[in-house]
Amino acid sequence: MSKQPYNQFLNKPPFASTALNNNKGPAPQSSPPEEQEPAVAPPEAPAQEDPKKKLLDSITQLGQTNVPQLESNIYCMTIIGQVEGHIQLPPQNKTTKYEHLIPQLVAAEQNNKIEGVLVILNTVGGDVEAGLAIAEMVSSMSKPVVTLVLGGGHSIGVPIAVAGSYSFIAETATMTIHPIRLTGLVIGVPQTFEYLDKMQDRVVSFIARHSNISEEKFRELMTRTGELTRDIGTNVIGVDAVKYGLIDEVGGLGKALKKLNELIEKARSGEERVLQ
Amino acid sequence: MILYSIIPTETVFANMEQVEKQELEEITNGHATMLVERTGPYEGRIVRLISPDPQDYLKPHYAPGQKVQFRPEWLV
Repeated sequence: MSKQPYNQFLNKPPFASTALNNNKGPAPQSSPPEEQEPAVAPPEAPAQEDPKKKLLDSITQLGQTNVPQLESNIYCMTIIGQVEGHIQLPPQNKTTKYEHLIPQLVAAEQNNKIEGVLVILNTVGGDVEAGLAIAEMVSSMSKPVVTLVLGGGHSIGVPIAVAGSYSFIAETATMTIHPIRLTGLVIGVPQTFEYLDKMQDRVVSFIARHSNISEEKFRELMTRTGELTRDIGTNVIGVDAVKYGLIDEVGGLGKALKKLNELIEKARSGEERVLQ
Repeated sequence: MILYSIIPTETVFANMEQVEKQELEEITNGHATMLVERTGPYEGRIVRLISPDPQDYLKPHYAPGQKVQFRPEWLV
C-alpha cells in the first residue's frame, strides 16, 4: 500500500486539525474554501489541538489514557430475575445469564486483586442446571464468598444462597421452598418420575451439604401443604430461614461486608502462617 | 431443561416468538467474540460475550446490554 490513502485518511475530520498533516495534502475541510489568507487561518487551530495533544501526551507518558483508580478487593456479583439456562428466555423476563457469571467467577478466583466475593441474590429461580452450576462454582472457590438474599431467593436461588462461605438474609427477604415441577409431554411415567426425583435429589442434597438444615427437614418444608396457594411447599421469611438452619444470619449489606472483610483477614493470616 | 421457579412456566415462556425473531451478529475484537444485536448502522447491543480470557468478563464495557460501535476494517 502506498502512503497516499493513509494521508488522505489523516485529512478527514477527526484528524484534520492535528499537527500530523501540517505540510502536505489538501486543506482541512473545516477551513474556508478560499485560499486568499492562509496565514490568518492557523490561530483557531491550536485551541482545537489542545485536548487531543494532552491525550496523546498521557498515552506516551503512562502508556494508557485512564488515570489509576481506587480498586476494590471485593467482587460483587448480583443474581437477579430468572437464572437463564440453555434456553434464551423471552424479553419480558429479567434474566441472569449463567454463561456470564461462570467466567466472572473464574476471573474473580484468578485475579490477585480480588480477595473476596459478595453475591447478592434477588431471584425467582430458573434453570436447574444453570443454578446448580453457579452454586457449585461459588462453593468451590478458594476465596471467601458471602451471600446476601434481598427480596427473594426462591427455588433454585436457595442452593446459590447457601453455596457461599457465609450467608445472610434480609429480615424481609423470603425464600420459597417447593418441589421441582415438570411440564410438557411425559412419555414414560415411571422413568420420568425417577428422573424428576433424581433432579430433586441433586438440589436437596446440595442444600443439605452446604447449610445447617437436614435433608429430612428440607424435604418436609418442601412438601408442606397449606402454606402456598398454587403449590405445596413453604415460604420461609428472614428469621425463619435462620431458624431452620438454611441461612447463617439475618442481616443486610453492612453485616455482610463486615463478615466478608473478617473472612478475608482470616484467609490472609492463614496464608501468612503457611508462608512461615 | 427443567425450570425451577416460582414464576409459572406459561408466564416465563410467553412471547417466545420474539426471541426467535432476534437477529444476532458475531463480531470479534481481538480474542473476544461478541454476539451483538444490531441497533443501527455500525452499532449494536452486546447480547453475549465469548472470550477465553476470564478477565474480559470483569470489564464493564464488555457486559451484555452495553452498546458497541463497530465498522469493518476496510472502511477506515
